[in-house]
Amino acid sequence: MSDRLLSRKRAQRNAVAALFLSHREAAASCALVSGFALAALIALPVAGQSPAVAAKAAGGAAKTGNWVASKTPDGQPDLQGIWNNGTVTPMERPAELAGKEFFTEKEALAWEKQVLARTNRDQRAPGTVQDVARAYNDIWWDSGTRVVRTLRTSMVIDPPDGRIPPLTLQAQEAQRARAELRQHPAETPRDRMLAERCLQFPTSGPPMTPYVYNNNFRIVQTKDYVAINIELLHDVRMIPLDGRAHLPSNIRLWFGDSIGHWEANTLVVDTTNFTNKTSFRGSDQNLHVIERFTRIDPETIVYRFTIDDPTAFTKPWTAELTMVKSPGPIYEYDCHEGNYGMMNLLKGARAEEKAAAEGNQK
Amino acid sequence: MRSPLGGWPISFAAAAVCAIFVLSARAQSPVYKAPRTADGKPNLNGIWQAVNTANWDLQGHTAQASHILSLGAQGAEPGGVGVVEGGEIPYLREAFAQKQKNYANRFQDDPEIKCYQPGVPRATYLPFPFQIVQSKGVILISYEFANATRTIYMENAPDSPTDYWMGHSVGHWEGDTLVVSVTNLDDRTWFDRAGDYHSDALHVTERYTPISPDAMNYEATIEDPKVFSRPWKISLPLYKHLEKNARLMEFRCVEFVEDLIYGPYYKHPVVAN
Amino acid sequence: MRMRLAALIAGAGLTIALPLCAHHAFQAEFDAKKPIHLQGVVTRMEWINPHAWMHIDVKNPDGSTASWMIEAGTPNTLFRRGFTKESLKVGTEVVVDGYQAKDGSNTGNGRDVTLPDGRKLFFGSTGTGAPDEAERK
Repeated sequence: MSDRLLSRKRAQRNAVAALFLSHREAAASCALVSGFALAALIALPVAGQSPAVAAKAAGGAAKTGNWVASKTPDGQPDLQGIWNNGTVTPMERPAELAGKEFFTEKEALAWEKQVLARTNRDQRAPGTVQDVARAYNDIWWDSGTRVVRTLRTSMVIDPPDGRIPPLTLQAQEAQRARAELRQHPAETPRDRMLAERCLQFPTSGPPMTPYVYNNNFRIVQTKDYVAINIELLHDVRMIPLDGRAHLPSNIRLWFGDSIGHWEANTLVVDTTNFTNKTSFRGSDQNLHVIERFTRIDPETIVYRFTIDDPTAFTKPWTAELTMVKSPGPIYEYDCHEGNYGMMNLLKGARAEEKAAAEGNQK
Repeated sequence: MRSPLGGWPISFAAAAVCAIFVLSARAQSPVYKAPRTADGKPNLNGIWQAVNTANWDLQGHTAQASHILSLGAQGAEPGGVGVVEGGEIPYLREAFAQKQKNYANRFQDDPEIKCYQPGVPRATYLPFPFQIVQSKGVILISYEFANATRTIYMENAPDSPTDYWMGHSVGHWEGDTLVVSVTNLDDRTWFDRAGDYHSDALHVTERYTPISPDAMNYEATIEDPKVFSRPWKISLPLYKHLEKNARLMEFRCVEFVEDLIYGPYYKHPVVAN
Repeated sequence: MRMRLAALIAGAGLTIALPLCAHHAFQAEFDAKKPIHLQGVVTRMEWINPHAWMHIDVKNPDGSTASWMIEAGTPNTLFRRGFTKESLKVGTEVVVDGYQAKDGSNTGNGRDVTLPDGRKLFFGSTGTGAPDEAERK
């Protein structure tokens, strides 16, 4: 696609996203939108839609911006398909971009280039721990090559400085203890991260945030459920739409308990009842996540989540990223069945301890 | 009074009446037609579960004492008449030796013990529920056990680049029956706790047929020329969960088996009895 | 506040958009002080997660053969780039530059895997088919 069309599409998405932003945020977006935006708002090509889908959309749809949202056979806004949320946009706005909420098209391209150049794993630093951590050739990685489609400079949108609010003292202490566990040779798998144990990955959350690869999700909708199949790791979030109450507070789940409902074209998902086994950026078992999924064009879902966890964060905060249509497919991510790495990690830890003990004896 | 044709007309009439009765009974025998989804397909959405002892042993079996003494009746194996059509699984003679070896070592070697994904068809008759979520392009099946998941492609099925523990599923409708062809199944899954197994040549054909609003008939045909002398079939009902707000719970058992698998490598080793 | 392009690019101290604990596992498994450089022949490729494993036979100077297991990445990424389990044939000669396992076994990570002529293994990727890849071209 040409730079011109790319720029126009980005402007479209930006303008549409502005519809459900605050006035202040919208003003900021508009200030940065290029002159193409006006032309772009006139007629929106619904590229990628088959005639059947377009007909359905024309038949019984609501408008989101200038895109006529298509509906599922049950009459719900259609979020179905395979989506990828990999991105080079950071969670928090870096100090160098303080006060800058959006990139221009040109700045976004430059940002993408320098991030990819900086993080390319084929750069070597032989004999260093950093080199070991880069693990293998760049072709095996896939954390995303583009900024989020709204051109934001961070995923965090509230607080407005794009930084996650400070943790409470107790959450800081818990985080410190977790990090400390990883500093010494692992005594058991419980000293290691959930992903290394094949228990859960950051992509599943909720909230669902990108990882270093396989950032793929398939959404399937029925009258009563929205199901999200998450590649990492062969999980399905089953979100009921029947307005049921949350589970009693003594039942705690790795994925929490999610209840969904529609607000116009936005799927709102409310999740509570987490365990203390997961921690999202410092969260604890009192985590309460509110997610909002809004499809703004055939290829983009704007995914926004609010974190409300008063025992962990000093105030609630909100982040937003985009999920982009992907050809897929989702591949089955069998993990535990082939987790030689955990075995090796523990053997390595025993070897380290042995070497240290023998060293002490000398 | 005797008819000039003897008893023929009466027997013929009787036979004709019988035939008419039988034929009309067949024509009237009700074939359940499931309600439709909004896009016109039989609606299989819901939370389902098998209620039998197939996971212990696909073939007929009587109850047995627990392998673990301290579990007493809790750990004992219940009996069942079996779900294999014809009763016996037709192993090739050479392949049967492996089944016997599996059976002898089943309390160490059964992949279910290590929370490995159960494969197909075992996932269907584990003592855990599963949920079907149906759309035009794909049908998702989410299993409570080990959060195993299957994507059944109803159109535009991609190729499978390798083998998977839950295989590669391609489905189509035959009347009200969902027919699923499953290939690329990892050869390390078992069919049950009795050591019934397969090779990498396994091909499973499943048939899900609604028989009432709250029940389906499930059939799976097993073809594996490396292990069995002919294709064979299992058949069992699946029942819908009817409780209000029915849901799958989490059974993320990987956490429960870490000590078993990795225990010997801990700083303070842990070894199973 | 508008920032000039140059200032953006010059912001060298920026943090990478990676999750906090990406692949610390490798630092726990492999020893930066035990570099390995192996030339060997592929005997088996396990296209599994969380890591694919390449099994190679390496000829020692004394003529004996050592079998090594080399840890790689998630095969899903390669499958999306168009590779399949047939893409690495048994018998292929490879050069592995990496680090040995901390326990001293014949296990290493394939930090940099090339063919003998220097081309990276699985070179010539066609992209992941990720949504915006086409737009870039």
